[in-house]
Amino acid sequence: MRKQTRPPTYGLIAEFESPGDVIAAAERVHEEGYRRVDAYSPYPIEALSEAIGVHHSRLPLMVLIGGIIGGLAGYLMQYYLLVINYPLNVGGKPFHSWPQFVPITFECAVLGAALTAVFGMLALNGLPEPYHPVFNAPNFALASRDRFFLLIMSTDPKFEREQTAGFLKSLGPREVTDVEY
Amino acid sequence: MQRVDNLDDDRGIHTTPAVIEPGHDFGTVTDKISSIVLRKRTPLGWFVGFLISFMLTGMMMGTILYLVMTGIGIWGNNQPVGWAFDIINFVWWIGIGHAGTLISAILLLLRQEWRTSINRFAEAMTLFAVASAGLFPLLHTGRPWLAYWLFPYPNTMGMWPQFRSPLMWDVFAVSTYATVSALFWYTGLIPDLATLRDRARSKFGRVVYGMMALGWRGSARHWHRYEITYLLLAGISTPLVLSVHTIVSFDFAVGIIPGWHATIFPPYFVAGAIYAGFAMVLTLVIPLRKFYGLEDFITERHLRNAAKVMLATGLIVAYGYMMETFTAWYSANTYEEFMIRNRFFGPYAFYYWSLLVCNVVVPQLLWIRFVRHSTVALFVIAMFVNVGMWLERFVIIPISLHRDFLPSSWGMYSPTIFDFTMFFGTIGFFFFLMFLFLRFLPVISIFEMRTMVPEAQLPEEKLP
Amino acid sequence: MDAKTYTAPPSIGRYGSRALVFGVAALALAAAVSFLFPQEHIPGPVQFFRAYLVAYIFCTGLGVGSLAWLMLQHMTGGGWGLVIRRPLEAATRTIPLLALLFIPLAVSLFVHPGGESLYEWSDAAKVAGDEALRHKSAYLNPVFFIVRAVIYFAVWGVMMYFMNKWSAEQDKTGDPRIRRLMQDASAPGLLLFGLTVTFAAMDWGMSLEPHWFSTIYGLIIMVGWGLSALALMIIVLTVLGAEEPMEGVYAPLYFHDLGKLLLAMVMLFAYFSFSQFLIIWSGNLPEEIPYYLRRLRGWWQYVGLSLILFHFALPFAMLLSRGVKRHARALRNIAILMLLMRVVDLIFIIAPAAYQDTAEPTGIHWQDLLTMSAAAAGLFGIWLWYFFGQLTKRPLMPLGAPELEKTMEAAAASAHH
Repeated sequence: MRKQTRPPTYGLIAEFESPGDVIAAAERVHEEGYRRVDAYSPYPIEALSEAIGVHHSRLPLMVLIGGIIGGLAGYLMQYYLLVINYPLNVGGKPFHSWPQFVPITFECAVLGAALTAVFGMLALNGLPEPYHPVFNAPNFALASRDRFFLLIMSTDPKFEREQTAGFLKSLGPREVTDVEY
Repeated sequence: MQRVDNLDDDRGIHTTPAVIEPGHDFGTVTDKISSIVLRKRTPLGWFVGFLISFMLTGMMMGTILYLVMTGIGIWGNNQPVGWAFDIINFVWWIGIGHAGTLISAILLLLRQEWRTSINRFAEAMTLFAVASAGLFPLLHTGRPWLAYWLFPYPNTMGMWPQFRSPLMWDVFAVSTYATVSALFWYTGLIPDLATLRDRARSKFGRVVYGMMALGWRGSARHWHRYEITYLLLAGISTPLVLSVHTIVSFDFAVGIIPGWHATIFPPYFVAGAIYAGFAMVLTLVIPLRKFYGLEDFITERHLRNAAKVMLATGLIVAYGYMMETFTAWYSANTYEEFMIRNRFFGPYAFYYWSLLVCNVVVPQLLWIRFVRHSTVALFVIAMFVNVGMWLERFVIIPISLHRDFLPSSWGMYSPTIFDFTMFFGTIGFFFFLMFLFLRFLPVISIFEMRTMVPEAQLPEEKLP
Repeated sequence: MDAKTYTAPPSIGRYGSRALVFGVAALALAAAVSFLFPQEHIPGPVQFFRAYLVAYIFCTGLGVGSLAWLMLQHMTGGGWGLVIRRPLEAATRTIPLLALLFIPLAVSLFVHPGGESLYEWSDAAKVAGDEALRHKSAYLNPVFFIVRAVIYFAVWGVMMYFMNKWSAEQDKTGDPRIRRLMQDASAPGLLLFGLTVTFAAMDWGMSLEPHWFSTIYGLIIMVGWGLSALALMIIVLTVLGAEEPMEGVYAPLYFHDLGKLLLAMVMLFAYFSFSQFLIIWSGNLPEEIPYYLRRLRGWWQYVGLSLILFHFALPFAMLLSRGVKRHARALRNIAILMLLMRVVDLIFIIAPAAYQDTAEPTGIHWQDLLTMSAAAAGLFGIWLWYFFGQLTKRPLMPLGAPELEKTMEAAAASAHH
């Protein structure tokens, strides 16, 4: 602290030991009006993401669309290649052998849906992201073992370093610390 | 379908063992599973196993080299038996892979919590089995370096693949299956890779696991989408796995060879695949849990449930044999009747009766409770099923082919030494990949195991 | 919890008698049209038997399919099984009625007006002139056909008897060992179910075209029966849940689970049917393909198309939605659609079989559509009357089931979310 003003931080993080504590704290933080909040846990906790106000996701719709596009592409590919581009009599079957086009159509639909699901999830999560300020928090390595963290970002309109830190401390964490950029 | 299956405990005299033994918390689960990967010293047993599988892989590589230089004439395939070990092994391996997807996807949808400690392992099994399976049709093309011809791409020959052929359906089905299985497996691994990144002591480990973890930090927003994705993938994989073996069965059933052309083939192949796959799961898991001391996580309950699945799918397979035999008579078709008579009493009858013993007779022991509760008995029965399901494909493929419609076209089939080096080579290859996986990645999904420990049960979550 | 006895409301009896009146009238209509407006090649009695066969396979599926669900839910456990257990048991107790209703089919084997019959192989004159039928006559002959039917009903009847007896004992004593007993008996029970239904399906349905064969046929009928029984259970829950004492007992959670099972059955049925079609269509063999030639010509192909759209595509798309599965009314509407489409599918399976040898095999005959749907509605009405009668005989929840209380609490808890 050589200068008078503190360097800007990413936010304040509070460390908790049990899932129940962090959920309760997250609910209080949400009630208090903080919105630019994130929580970290070593396994998925539905109640925790609900507590910080995450409810809906566009993913299911995206996956449905991905599947439909995949299936259509699969069918139209077969139709174009075997009916329009190069019609060939095989075993006396009609050029447009729709029953025999079903298996590949199905596989393409599945492939489209699965690729959308995985890459859609990664994209919406902003991953891969090699560097993130939250990794600077002390003990954060334990977030992938048995610790739970609650972060309020400095960009939150209600963020006021001293007051927010005091509020977080009142929620019964192990520790509250600044997260440097 | 909810947690109500915990009620099994009070249904009578016998109590059901738990999915995870008591005394574990978030920390111990994490430490115990990640230590298998992160410890410095590699156990001697691992080296022995790795070396054996590596040598078998070398044998496979040698066979492939010779095959590529010479041609598939080094195998026993002939006229009329154009398909033999290559396709038997392909179907056998693909079938084994299916149990992996079944465990990870279908049991997740059915909210069967016991799957949690074996799903990672089962998914790995799927991937490696599909890798082994894929080698066979690839090499059977004779010129594997031209295998990309199977995909539709604009080319100077001005031609397209023949999409009415089930072999093309296979190309799409197996490549989709391999892709989706790999995605499913990797998606499941991401949080655990982050755990390894955070716990690795060597710089190299931190960097490699860190890159593979893609910067995962366990954010609640990320978990939310992650859970949705995981469920969606499970929902997508379930029909996919059924479709893959269905399409494998179409390879035979849409043709008109007696013994191949049967409408029962799709469900019968799917059931057979699950049957073989669960047998392979038991074959691998019973020694594994012993060796790595994972009895707390892979409990008696898992083995018993796998035994029940084997019994159920085995009965469906037996139903398939029965329907084939009855319908051959009922059809009043000379060729169909001859096909069954040839199976029962023809030159390869020994293999048909062995198949019935391995797949139908021996597994009936699983009706008896103490057999299901004996680890040794389960292992032995699983070995019978492994053999039986291989014999089933032998019965379907060469035995149907070697008696062509016209007696003048009849022939016999016997495999060559290279058929066997290729087959046992892929078994070695499978274990080679398995040993690498055991050493470098967590065999049990750590983050999902965390959800199973008592600490994770929130008061309001105790009720469904 | 203790205060509730879950006795069926009196309205169930009223629905039953209305169903009976409607059923008898519809069946009479089917008979009247069959006899008064016969088709050129199909005399009145044969027309009636064909219509009756559609109705009979449909209704037997409700009773026997319920038996399979009953045993399945004993094996898997779970709240969804507990809430439909009593309706399932009531449906299985219609099996004696179904055995009685088999008599017209047995009679049909001996009725050959003008050389025509319901089952070609039952006519000795036809068998004598056909080599394949002579070969099959060891299996396809009237006496053995009836003997087999007696065996099927004996097996189903015994399973029905014990499942209901044990369940009643459990109500009285609450003995936890009974749960185990029912669970242990269900696995071999399902095995017997699979075997009997397979051969019943081949006897009653497949042998209409005695030269044709398909090894998956038994599974298709089996899943069809399971589908219709499940759809009926969903409808019954919505009817019972509309008033006391069951109001509020059937939580969205259970509809969600039943909806998932319905989706699985819809997909499984489509999968089996399409597999059969694709394999036969691709093989294109002379002894197999006529089955589909009869069903893909003229107007019949549009019936086939309607099956793709309304037996698969529409319910599949709707059941993908979580909201629809949890919404009792929406799910009930899909279940009604499925019951209707099961009848359409049975007509599609059974009606074209009669036009094997005629020169004009392509058109749809209005007599078929009218008599078959009227007979299905009629027999269903009579069946419903008997089913509702059985439903009122026991509490609508298994009071002695050890998991009842926990399940009810779980339902109450889930309702708050």
